[in-house]
Amino acid sequence: MKGSSFTYLIKEGARNIWVNRMMSLASIGILVSCMLLIGSAILLSINLNGMVSYVENQNEMVAFLEDSADDITVSAVKAALDKNSNVDSFSFVSREEALERYSEIVPDSLLENLEQDKEEVFPLSFRITLKDLSLIDETTAQIESIPGIMRVNAPTNVAETVTGIKRAVYICGSGIVIILLAVTLIIIANTIKVTVFNRRKEINIMKFVGATDLFIRMPFVVEGVLLGVISACLAYLILWGGYTYLMNYVQTQAATTLSAFLKNLVPFSQVAKQLLASFAVGGVAIGVFGSMIFVRKHLKV
Amino acid sequence: MIRFSNVSKTYDNGTQALKNVDLEIADGEFVFIVGASGAGKSTLIKLLLREEVPSAGAIEVNGYTVNRLKRRQIPGFRRSLGVVFQDFRLIPTMNVYDNVAFALRVTNVSTRDIRRRVPYILSLVGLASKARCKMNELSGGEQQRVALARALVNNPKLIIADEPTGNIDPELSYEIVDLLNEINKVGTTVVMVTHEHDLVAQFNHRVITIDDGSVVRDDADWGQR
Repeated sequence: MKGSSFTYLIKEGARNIWVNRMMSLASIGILVSCMLLIGSAILLSINLNGMVSYVENQNEMVAFLEDSADDITVSAVKAALDKNSNVDSFSFVSREEALERYSEIVPDSLLENLEQDKEEVFPLSFRITLKDLSLIDETTAQIESIPGIMRVNAPTNVAETVTGIKRAVYICGSGIVIILLAVTLIIIANTIKVTVFNRRKEINIMKFVGATDLFIRMPFVVEGVLLGVISACLAYLILWGGYTYLMNYVQTQAATTLSAFLKNLVPFSQVAKQLLASFAVGGVAIGVFGSMIFVRKHLKV
Repeated sequence: MIRFSNVSKTYDNGTQALKNVDLEIADGEFVFIVGASGAGKSTLIKLLLREEVPSAGAIEVNGYTVNRLKRRQIPGFRRSLGVVFQDFRLIPTMNVYDNVAFALRVTNVSTRDIRRRVPYILSLVGLASKARCKMNELSGGEQQRVALARALVNNPKLIIADEPTGNIDPELSYEIVDLLNEINKVGTTVVMVTHEHDLVAQFNHRVITIDDGSVVRDDADWGQR
């Protein structure tokens, strides 16, 4: 194909968008709506997941050391925790710190009645947060087996609940996105079908003057690419504006009890690039393949 | 050169549109193909354009064995001929110039050559002043002349006209056939399908009559009868 023909076909694709502007507008409207629905579902799913992760991070397990534990034991336990792949972070709690924390929640009168040295009552411990709460049982067993560890207090029930919620959010989120994707594909396929059907005479004329299949397809493909890119940009901008506005509104209006959760909302900038890239790739792919498939039917002349 | 050798066409629904047709049209001839509706004229044109393939027999057009053409060879074959349809088949969103230039663009002709060739062809069919007009601004006769210009612009060896006067006023019909006649005078083969016997009688050309899928008459010079 000559350079002048290539330029002509690109121009022709762009011109077709304007010439068939009502159909182009309808296609953009449908594409944008579908992308907005999918984008919203993805953002909702990410945020729910973020909130559950926040709850997850609030749950620590405490590993108490034996009374006889000395500095060498503490170092050995630290090294063992470092090696454990499911340990996200841990902090050492000395007897003094333990007493301090305890005295914050227990009345002083109770502590005064202790016969022995107050500090001696509290064992040395590690406060540990896990990467994956669903593996809490295995990790507890591993930590309990570290020499010098006396006992591990793990919030097993909470872990099960949180893991359950997380799984539900993941399954529901993925399910909704898959359903929306399927609906989107059907709607867009029909839109392209109608667009191509409206121009079947044009395709027929092209065939009779000796146009090759590639020559006929190219403007449709260019049109598909342009419509896909325009729709992706529009959907991205609307989602950006809408999400940022909603996030600001929710964070300023929400009750204080919820504020801890809402602080964990994912900022748009964190997902912006991926969203724009998926919209653009999705839009262009649908435009290109849709045009290729549905024009093909009318090429058999 | 067009040659039909024992060509038959039966459609999937069982309709036998052409039966054992033998036909030869030499280069530079002007031939009218006449017949009543349903006689098989349209099928003959479809076979000539490789829109349909024959159920039996062989078709040779412009050196191509049409019934054996591979899919990728069809565009090249169609570029060797010009077609004019009853319903014009023009692209309504393009102006006169672009509708004609379009036939050159599909064949990878350079923009410079398109700019030279299209105005010349438009002047030949008398539409030089209407190059920028849209299709809905033209009369039926003018639209058919645009279609004729598009068929001519590639300088084809053969023009196939399928009822080109079917959608235009009788007084303009003569004008269109006369244009085809002029084109034929410079050596282009013209095959025109029509059912307008009065029009055919005004020109001294070979007339092939089809009835019920068979060639029933082949008059070398009907106009002289």
